[in-house]
Formats: sequence, C-alpha cells, structure tokens
Amino acid sequence: MNIEQYIIDIKDKFPDITNVEVINTKRLMVYIPQSLLPKITDYWFNELQYRYVIVTAMDSKDGYELIYHYSDDSSGWIMSLNVLLPHDTPEVESMTSIVYGIEWIEREIMDILGIKFLNHPKPERFLLPESWPEGDYPYRRKIRKEDR
Amino acid sequence: MGKKTIVPIGPYHPLLEEPEFFKLYCDGETVVDMEWETGYNHRGIEKICESKTFEQVFFVVERICGICSTSHPFAYANAVESIGGVQIPVRAKLIRSIVGELERIHSHLLWVGLAGHFLGYNTVFMWAWKYREPVLDMFEIITGNRNNYAMFTIGGVRRDIDETKATELLKVLDDVKKKTDLLVGAVMDDPVIHARLKGVGTLTAKDIHDFGAVGPTARASGVDIDVRRDDPYAAYDMVNWKVITTPEGDVFAKAKVRLLEMYESISIIKQCLTLLQKETPGDIKAKVKEIPEGIGIGHAEAPRGEVFHFVKSDGGNSPVRHKIRAPSYNCITTFRRSCIGGTISDAAIATAAVDPCYCCTERMVQVYDYHSGKHMMNAAELIKFSQQKTEELRKKL
Repeated sequence: MNIEQYIIDIKDKFPDITNVEVINTKRLMVYIPQSLLPKITDYWFNELQYRYVIVTAMDSKDGYELIYHYSDDSSGWIMSLNVLLPHDTPEVESMTSIVYGIEWIEREIMDILGIKFLNHPKPERFLLPESWPEGDYPYRRKIRKEDR
Repeated sequence: MGKKTIVPIGPYHPLLEEPEFFKLYCDGETVVDMEWETGYNHRGIEKICESKTFEQVFFVVERICGICSTSHPFAYANAVESIGGVQIPVRAKLIRSIVGELERIHSHLLWVGLAGHFLGYNTVFMWAWKYREPVLDMFEIITGNRNNYAMFTIGGVRRDIDETKATELLKVLDDVKKKTDLLVGAVMDDPVIHARLKGVGTLTAKDIHDFGAVGPTARASGVDIDVRRDDPYAAYDMVNWKVITTPEGDVFAKAKVRLLEMYESISIIKQCLTLLQKETPGDIKAKVKEIPEGIGIGHAEAPRGEVFHFVKSDGGNSPVRHKIRAPSYNCITTFRRSCIGGTISDAAIATAAVDPCYCCTERMVQVYDYHSGKHMMNAAELIKFSQQKTEELRKKL
C-alpha cells in the first residue's frame, strides 16, 4: 500500500478521525480520541494483522501522550496511534484483551508515568522496586515541590 | 487441578549471567503456569538519554547490551537521521552493515554455545566460543575494540575500513566460514540434540502474533519478518541475501534458523567488503548541522530481532523523549506459551531458545512449593536437571 491508500483506508473505516500525519518516510501517525482505541486496535491487530511493536508514553504540554506502535511488515510501514490523556485524569482502557503482549509495557507505563490502565489483569509494579514511594512517577515532567 | 509446586529460578546466581526471575508453577513434572519478575537490572537509560546530546546518546545506547552493542546505535541512528532527513554516504552504509552482520555472527555463536551448555554439551560450548574469537578479532581490526565499538555517529561512521583491513578481514572470514561448517555439522547431525530439541517449546505463528515476538523466534515459527528486508536500511538493499524461515516453531527450528543465518551474514559481509573495495575512498560521514523539531522512529534487525527506537526532538540538542524497545522485551513473554505443558527439564532450553537478553529487557527463574512457598530449586539446579536428561538420553541411544 502507498501513503494515500493507508490514509483513505483509515478515514474510510473511522470517519471520526481527522488528523492523520505522515511523520517521515514509511511512518504514519494517527491521532485518535480515547473512545476509538479498542476498535481501531482490534481492526489493525486482528483484521489487518499488523504486528504489535510497543507503546511509547510521554508527558507533553497538553497531557500524557500514549503512542501505540504497530508495524505492517508487508510494506515496512510503522503505524502509530496517538492518544492524548488529560493530566488530571490519566486513565485509559487496557488493550490486553486484544493484544496479549501489551501487558508488560502497560505495567511499565503505570510505574513511570502513573497512568491507570482500566481492566488490566495484573496492575502491579514492573520496573520499580516495591519500596519505591507511592505516587512518585519518575517520567513526569512536573518539578517536585522539594526541588523548588 | 492437583497440587502445584512453584519452581523459582533466579534472580541472582553465579551461574546466571544476568539477573532474571521466573516462577514455574508445576504439577508433578509438568509446567502448568509461569510468571516472571523484572526490574533487577533497570538503569533508567531512557531517562539518561534525555540529558545527553544527540551525539552522546550513541555511547549510552551502545551500553544497553554488550552483545547488541551495534543494534541499538543502528536503530537510534535510523531514528535520528530520519528526523533530519540525513542521507549517509555509501561507504558509511557498507561499513554499518559489515559491523551489524559481524555482531549477528558472534551473537549466534554465543547462543549456540550457551544452548549447548544448558543441554550438557560442554564441548559445543567450548567450540562455539572458541570460534567466536576470530569474529571478535575482526571487530578489533575494524573498530579497535572487541566490544562497545563506538562506530556510529549521526550521518555515518567514525572509522573507515581501508584496503589492507578489507583484505585481512576477507581472509579471517574464510576461516570463520570453515569453522561454522564444522559447528553446524556437529549440531545438526547429533541424534541426542535432535531428541532434546525437537518438539520442545513449540510456538505457533498465532503465538508469535499475539505477543509481537520478533527475530529468529518468529522466523522459526514460519513468520517471515525481517526488518533488513521489509524496511531496508544501511546497505541491505545493495546486496543479495535471503531471510531464513522454517515452520516448525520448536527449539530445534530456532537453532536451525540461527545457524543458517550465520551463512547469510558471512555472505553479506563478503559482498559489502567487495563493494567497499570497488568504491573510491571518500567520505564516511555526512555533515549534519542540527536535528530539527520532529519525531523519528527507527528500527534495526538485531541478532535477537527488531530493535525499536522512538526519538522526539524539539529542535534543541538533546532528545525530549527516547523510547527503546529491545527484541527480548516481546520475545520473553512467549515463555508463557512455550514452557507450559512441557517438563521442568525442558524449561531451561525452552527459555534459552529465544536468546533472552536481560540487560536489554531485564529480569530471573526459581522453583517454589506452591502451598508452603518454600524454595525448591534455583537456576543452576534447573540447568543440572536439563543436563541430566541429556545424559540419560545419550545412554539410551
């Protein structure tokens, strides 16, 4: 598939999506509202058989960005879903019921950014030790009170 | 279900090269469930990278893993160069591929050795590691180091391979090929190895898709993926080679894929060196003034599978966010499917089959009694167990 086909396919299936961006050669970023995430994940992962790669989470100005990366190995395109979560209620549905392998990274994101994954089968500490203080998330950009 | 016993393996033991912790839930001899714990090796490299300049990050990501110390810079270079739209010189492309393939050979030889050791074949272990030496010597000729090569930089490579070095490398490469023939013959023809590895730790193509597993683990289950072919980078589209796949999905298939891949790597290096000799000496690095604002996604095929780097730049001189995904991160989760239903003695080789790299992912394995929580067995004992099984098989044959 070429760029146009990819974009037409996504916009055709999900008319609510307006922002589709080609960020680089063979790299596509689709900005979606949270509500569409399970549907489009299911479509990409099960129907189109895209390979699950990883999830990148970052703290940006407008909220927490979750970027779900999938790969279409037949063409070498990396397709990303970008979901923006508000800073005050960082909650999103866990995708573990669709993609088994996503369990680890969701736990990791819980650890480092404090994002809550609803209906996660094992919402436990992953990278950080048990003794790590509750509510301290190392990848959040907010300056801690004691550092001021 | 009857009484279950938990077999914990890890996290720290002199025999394990890295900290890892698996809990095997066993019903008699059979593994019925599996859990893992992680984080024993977490160094916060993603966070460290945010405080380094784009140029310095190469030296940090190189140290994620001693074995894949080219794959991470490779993927990172692909990511950063895609933000800036940097075109690298042909010489640099060829040199990058040569280093990348040499790394694949030494990593696969290391795996063959370790797999041999887990099975109780210490001769295979000694051979494989002995034959790995000339490959490390080749690294020394090219980069000056046996490990952590510091070859990559934005826009190219840091050291050139001149005519004398190329001739010397081709000579060593012939030697490596002869040794590989010997080793492949020894492993593929051994009836005990066949008995121990065939039908063990089988993964289907669906398992691979569910967990997003990559590399030889996926290719041994008939999933035909390879970043080098699917999304060509460096010089991989300038040479002839093929992706090795086999449909069986068991540990033997994984060993076969790795062994045959070494031949492809040798062929790629040979072709690259010949192309390099034909090229007129020139630039090995493109001039890069700055990395503009943007997002770069780069991936590269490491010996264990796809390494994935996500880099976000705000136009400054260091990344705002740098996400790293090592292949083992996705492959280790497949243990849940490959070990369950097998015996405890097969668990050691089934877990070793994906060539898990804990410094990349980080993690361990132990055996506990399910009801009392009492510690029963550690990794050294598990490996001993596996070795005993081979011993018994050998006597029978």
